[in-house]
Amino acid sequence: MKKNNKHPFKTPEGYFDIFQDELMEKLSDDKPAIPKDSAFMVPDNYFETFNDRLTGKLNAETKVVQLYPVNKIIAVAASIAAIAFIYVGLNWNTTDELNFSDLANTDIEAYFENNDFGLSSYEIAKVIPVTNTEFSDILNSPIENDNILDYLNENINDFEELNIQENE
Amino acid sequence: MIVEETFVQDLKTKNTQAQAFEVLVNTYKERLYWQIRGIVLNHDDADDVLQNTFIKIYKNINGFKGDSKLFSWMYRIATNEALNFIKQRSNLQGITDIDYQEKLVSNLQADVYFEGDEIQLKLQQAIATLPEKQKLVFNMKYFQELKYEEISAILETSVGGLKASYHLAVKKVEQYLKTD
Repeated sequence: MKKNNKHPFKTPEGYFDIFQDELMEKLSDDKPAIPKDSAFMVPDNYFETFNDRLTGKLNAETKVVQLYPVNKIIAVAASIAAIAFIYVGLNWNTTDELNFSDLANTDIEAYFENNDFGLSSYEIAKVIPVTNTEFSDILNSPIENDNILDYLNENINDFEELNIQENE
Repeated sequence: MIVEETFVQDLKTKNTQAQAFEVLVNTYKERLYWQIRGIVLNHDDADDVLQNTFIKIYKNINGFKGDSKLFSWMYRIATNEALNFIKQRSNLQGITDIDYQEKLVSNLQADVYFEGDEIQLKLQQAIATLPEKQKLVFNMKYFQELKYEEISAILETSVGGLKASYHLAVKKVEQYLKTD
């Protein structure tokens, strides 16, 4: 045992002799060992089959280039554009009766007239927002008061049927 | 050097191209794969980038002037392809490269092709925090054990600069691993 003369503490036998070795050992334990193995893996036979997959991709790319060369695409597009231009030019003055907006409107009206959508009022109500919606939003021209009165006069029987008290 | 010149000539000549390209792929596919994998981390992404790398090599071999070694030229293409891949993916997701790489590392735990223990996962986290250049140098020097001269030719940086980068990277990684 080794004793310090100035204070009453003592150390185990040979403590200072082996201190350096123990310290070095501990330091080497504490030193972060960077693992050499990155732990990344590849699927089985990945490298063995890589060449085939690469060849397939390479062939696909080169085939696309051969089948659709840019020059051919440009030539075809130019031909179509030229034919379209000539056709429009020849027919430019033969469409006096209808313009685009007329066609669109008549088509849309015909579509609504000729197709039975079978939509119930509930289904229509579902797609039309109720809030902030006025009749005028969905009508091209406002309803005149006279027209409303005429309608009520002609269809007054329907409203009588709705009289709840009479039907009770 | 004569051998490489002949080989490059074979790669450029139509009759010998296919066979020479196969030799090229067989010789370098694994090395280039690990270079790419170290950057993109995920196997499927590494596979995509590796295929694109070889396609680019195939299409551009006629433009290879022989100013650098074929090996350095291919490594440079692979590295750029992988870095561009990371940039494209991070742009698509609207996040920075660093954030994207941190995300890649966090995905490693669920990656069936990553069998790392806690320290290896932490090592990847540490590498992800490094600046791009230090990250590349660390991967190439530490995992792939390339010589400084080879890395210098690939990254077109001085050997002195690379040594400094590697030293800094190791210090940062060690510091990261020490912290809990």
